[in-house]
Amino acid sequence: MDKAFEIQKHARDNVKTLQTYLTDLQNWEIEMKRKEAALNDEFVQDLPPVRSKARKEKPVQVKNKPEKRITGLDYSAWDKFDVNKACEEVDMADLGPVSLDSKKSQAAKTEKLKEEAQYEKERGNNFVKQEKWDEAISCYNRAIELVKDDAIYYANRGLCYLKKDSLHQAETDCTEALRLDPTYVKALQRRATARERLGSLRAASHDLAAVLAIEPHNAAARRQLEAIRARMGTKGAKSKSSPLSTPTVESKPVLPPKSSKIVELPAEPVKKELTPLEKWLNGVGENITVIRPVKKPPHLRSKRALKHVTIHEIPLGTNKTDDKPPTRMKIIEVNDNASHGDTNNNNANNKIVDTIPSCDGDKIKIGDNVKAGDNGKIGTSTNYTVQNMVPPVNSVQFMSEWKYLKGNDRARSDYLSIIEPTKLPSIFENALESDVLSELLYTLCNNKEKFRNKISAYLKAICKVKRFSALAMFLTNSDKNLLNDMLSHCKAVENLTDSEIADLINKYEL
Amino acid sequence: MDSEDTPQIITHIEHNINHCLFDCKWIPCSAKFVVIGSLPKGSGTLEIFEINSGELKKIKEIERPNSFKCGTFGASSDIERRLATGDFKGTLEIWDLEKSSQVYITKEHTDIINSIDGMGGNSLNCGAPEIVTGSRDGTVKVWDPRQRGKPVANMQPVQGETRRDCWTVAFGNSFNDAERIVIAGYDNGDLKMFDLRTMSLRWECNLKNGVCYTEFDRKDIPMNKLVATTLEGKFHVFDLRTQNPSKGFAQVLDNSSKSGTIWVARHVPQNRDIFITCAGNGQVSLWKYEYPEKRCHLDSQGVAVGVPGKLKRLQRMMISSQPINSLEWNRDHLGLSIATSYDQYVRVLVTTKLNLQ
Repeated sequence: MDKAFEIQKHARDNVKTLQTYLTDLQNWEIEMKRKEAALNDEFVQDLPPVRSKARKEKPVQVKNKPEKRITGLDYSAWDKFDVNKACEEVDMADLGPVSLDSKKSQAAKTEKLKEEAQYEKERGNNFVKQEKWDEAISCYNRAIELVKDDAIYYANRGLCYLKKDSLHQAETDCTEALRLDPTYVKALQRRATARERLGSLRAASHDLAAVLAIEPHNAAARRQLEAIRARMGTKGAKSKSSPLSTPTVESKPVLPPKSSKIVELPAEPVKKELTPLEKWLNGVGENITVIRPVKKPPHLRSKRALKHVTIHEIPLGTNKTDDKPPTRMKIIEVNDNASHGDTNNNNANNKIVDTIPSCDGDKIKIGDNVKAGDNGKIGTSTNYTVQNMVPPVNSVQFMSEWKYLKGNDRARSDYLSIIEPTKLPSIFENALESDVLSELLYTLCNNKEKFRNKISAYLKAICKVKRFSALAMFLTNSDKNLLNDMLSHCKAVENLTDSEIADLINKYEL
Repeated sequence: MDSEDTPQIITHIEHNINHCLFDCKWIPCSAKFVVIGSLPKGSGTLEIFEINSGELKKIKEIERPNSFKCGTFGASSDIERRLATGDFKGTLEIWDLEKSSQVYITKEHTDIINSIDGMGGNSLNCGAPEIVTGSRDGTVKVWDPRQRGKPVANMQPVQGETRRDCWTVAFGNSFNDAERIVIAGYDNGDLKMFDLRTMSLRWECNLKNGVCYTEFDRKDIPMNKLVATTLEGKFHVFDLRTQNPSKGFAQVLDNSSKSGTIWVARHVPQNRDIFITCAGNGQVSLWKYEYPEKRCHLDSQGVAVGVPGKLKRLQRMMISSQPINSLEWNRDHLGLSIATSYDQYVRVLVTTKLNLQ
């Protein structure tokens, strides 16, 4: 009885609870409808950034900090340093990161603008490839509007104007580009072409001389310069070069630019009567080679890392040398890609160690080198061994060396082998062109035994170069054959796993 | 026999819809909900219903050429209330339901999106609004509605490995702006835990049967518990507070109910230790997880090992003749839930006495 009663009570309770629940529900419905109607859009959320963007911001901050720091040796910067302002800044930072925030967003903004401009540039470049100059110009215009301080956009627009025969505009653009980046070779060459066609030959030749000062192996520039010189000759130009970029000023004393100096060097020295001091300076009659400092303005100097040169001390005085300093080896800087600088140092080294010929031989050597440079052909490159090479740190250094070694596969492979594969992406950044890529692949493929077990490392590193996926699309069939060849080699000799091979095949779009 | 405090599960409203239903979601801050389904001709529907004194009133219907599979409001604020949906073709869309228009559309998946979850729309200081989708193409992608077209994270098997069908995904561990975890269950029983902060696979295990549904007890706290349901009537509850380097997480398995596939497990928003499971035979079961006295102990090497708790069934009720494929608790009203089932009914369920547990 009790149990039945309990069950009944329980059921009744349950019904009761449900009833109250449903009334509650009814009330809730009405409440929700009222609430919903009251919702309005005055609601701003402070959301964290998108995941992919969030990561980008960190490195920007990190980068900013070291820039601000002034080194202890930079006295001029310390002179300008405003102590009061810095103290104020420190105080402000304690109060709150208000200013920091705005800076951060500023950095993000410029980053975005740069991206946008880069995109426009890519489009422009595509139009250039299709020879649609007007469209390309409008693309570059937009890019310049977005980012005003990038020399590349000006130089590229200059090229378009050049192609359209708008020579004056081309010249102004190139000048602007050079103002931003005085060592920009392409801009110099384009301005030279523009000026040549405008008729200002002297200015053009000066530009070309500047090109040759930066890239002594630039055959195109050399040819153009010779052509212009020839034209100037027929027109009866008086001086071959003027140090000033403006063609109007002629009365100033002339300093021959670097390239012409190189040309004239072999003819100069022999006949003159030398003073004892000059003799001493040139090391006449001694078993040594004099190494001279190379003088160059800072912006033309080599960007290559300084090279370590071992100095062998040798007992002097085998000749009639009494009051001379024990050694006169002075090395200021290993010259850029200029062959004479490099080979000179090395020749000097070898000769001192071997104690072979007199300075005459040395002179001839210099002459040889200059001649080789003159013809634009590389006569000496066969002697060019690995020891003479220095691994590049950026694409400009790489390209100049690479071009210089053109036609000499062995040297190229030597050069490539001294480059650490993992450094390739940082060397090329986004400046790897498809023809260079083809040459790289060719060199790798034809020197398998030289690279021994490193081919896969190179192939992987190349994949990591920026914009590689775009380059992969332009691989020619012969490139792909080379790649297939190398991959089978990798598989057989370097024991690459199938998945690694598959990954490479995928990356190279084979 | 039932004690006094035993919750009752009652079907409050039953509404027949003459097509297949896949998912249902409450519209936040309202007495309305969306039912996601597909018509026999293969087109997809979004239908909005409102509870109106014991009746369902259809307010709006949107029809699109592709069948929808799943949806979530998780990545949208209560003001905007935008529904993110995944469809059979692999398209992710975000809908402004007021205007019946998409505000975001992207098709990065190559096959059906089986599961979707969103978070960050409402909760402050709990990270960016993000949506995670799991697809038959084997990938799990994380999206930010502010970034168009491209996912912010993509988790897929390495090349050459078979692509398993991903059946379920869920967010969790999002207790600050940086931390967030995605859990994904696959048809071969794999359960993988991806850490979005470090972008790495944090933990994985195999549950032997295909994982149908997985959910953290709370998304916005340091991860506490995880339920994963599988085929053949089993489900696992993991204690996620203690991760042992070799043994992983402590777990408790229930295979007592011979009810076929467990399609869904949902935690009560107001009480994270109570959850409901929906089985293939149309039965819903209410469970309570009872914590052990100590949640972890030190093993012989001095490394912490988690201790599993116990599962207690509070109630069960047959509410449908076909599998129940989705269920959602109402956030604002304790004990109120909606469920869809393959018998083409949408039901409003009422569970009483949850406050007494």
